[in-house]
Amino acid sequence: MVIIAVPSDGNGGLNELINSRFGRCPSFTFVKVEDKKIKEVKVVSNSAVGQMGGAGIHAAQLIGDNGAGIVIIGFLGPNAAQSLNALKIQIYQAPNKSITVREVINLYLENELPSINNANVAAHRGMGGA
Amino acid sequence: MANKPKIICVTGGKGGTGKTLVAVNLAIMFKNEGFKTLLVDGDSENPNTYLLLGGKLGKRESVLFFKPLINEEKCTKCGICADNCVPHALLHIKDSIPIPILAVCSGCKLCFKICPAVAIEPDYKTVGWVYNITIRDIDLLVGELKPGEARSATVIEALLAKVDNKINNIGEKYDIVIIDTAPGAHCDVEELIEKADYVIPVTEPTKFGLSDLIRINELISLLHKDFKVIINRSTLLGYKNQFFNEIKNLKLEILGNIPLDDEVVNSYCAGVPLMENKKAHEEIGPAYQAFLKIYETIKEWIKFEKN
Repeated sequence: MVIIAVPSDGNGGLNELINSRFGRCPSFTFVKVEDKKIKEVKVVSNSAVGQMGGAGIHAAQLIGDNGAGIVIIGFLGPNAAQSLNALKIQIYQAPNKSITVREVINLYLENELPSINNANVAAHRGMGGA
Repeated sequence: MANKPKIICVTGGKGGTGKTLVAVNLAIMFKNEGFKTLLVDGDSENPNTYLLLGGKLGKRESVLFFKPLINEEKCTKCGICADNCVPHALLHIKDSIPIPILAVCSGCKLCFKICPAVAIEPDYKTVGWVYNITIRDIDLLVGELKPGEARSATVIEALLAKVDNKINNIGEKYDIVIIDTAPGAHCDVEELIEKADYVIPVTEPTKFGLSDLIRINELISLLHKDFKVIINRSTLLGYKNQFFNEIKNLKLEILGNIPLDDEVVNSYCAGVPLMENKKAHEEIGPAYQAFLKIYETIKEWIKFEKN
């Protein structure tokens, strides 16, 4: 059994789109998977979304508190990457396109997602701007 | 009560305008007249005053920056440190020991102060150094940021604490303190300007020089400091006329102009400051004359008296 965290749009859930931002996504959808099947789904709204700074670290803490062992992300900044590594949470890269939580979980279950260890964008990417 | 020395800050916005040239040669002129002079190099990323003075750095003290060290035996995993850490530099998961994320730690020590189990120990890393040396009878304090470190403000704070220490030391009684800053109009420069009674932005008659002068003047005005501008390489052609027109429109007071002069370059190469005592047979060039005039104007401006 493993819990997979996915940054999600709106109120989250399997049919919601994944959000490419890690620290500042509106919600996290936690999907419990056993024997390659989805067993349970839980949504937690992201309390880090409006924070001045350290959102990536706070979000890592949030998914760690919810027992996630794996996270699937779009963009990942350096502080978030360091935090996830410190918590020994495995990181997988979602494809760079509009995709639902269910679709991305299925890709993970089919071993279609590459695992990454480091940040793929600079700090503060999720705060917007050019 | 002993008089506090007058403090002059030499700054300028743009890089390479001659801030260090001006700061060092002002110090030399005050020293040559027998005044006890303290020169402060606050360009922590490129501290070069000692090179222009033709000296060596030597003895230094480390500037330390706090980082939390968690005593895993004492830690009760309560998470109070992480809950109260403003930049979120402590990562805490239920029932586990918090993990410091040092890249975002501001060094405020709050975690150390509030840990109910006294499980956070202060640990320190070196972010730079302060040098306390004397070259050519000028006391020189230099702040240097360790390459790759981002905490230059911490180095400047330590440097200014050392300045206070020296100024307030009854045995030392300085007549004048001259501070050299980094280029730019950022917080390190602001702290150094804040320390001064008088500010001298050094610029050059180019578009860059004008643009950066306008920025630094905004900063100086925000800090309500008295300032006058030095135009270095004032005979540089190309943008000169527009430049001086703009200075007039902006109603900026000019302390002096330093013309282009090979003697300045030669003094750089020789490691002997331009205004160091000349031998009788040596020629006096236009830059040297300009400096003499600037020196007299400054003394009048700041109502300089020996302490």
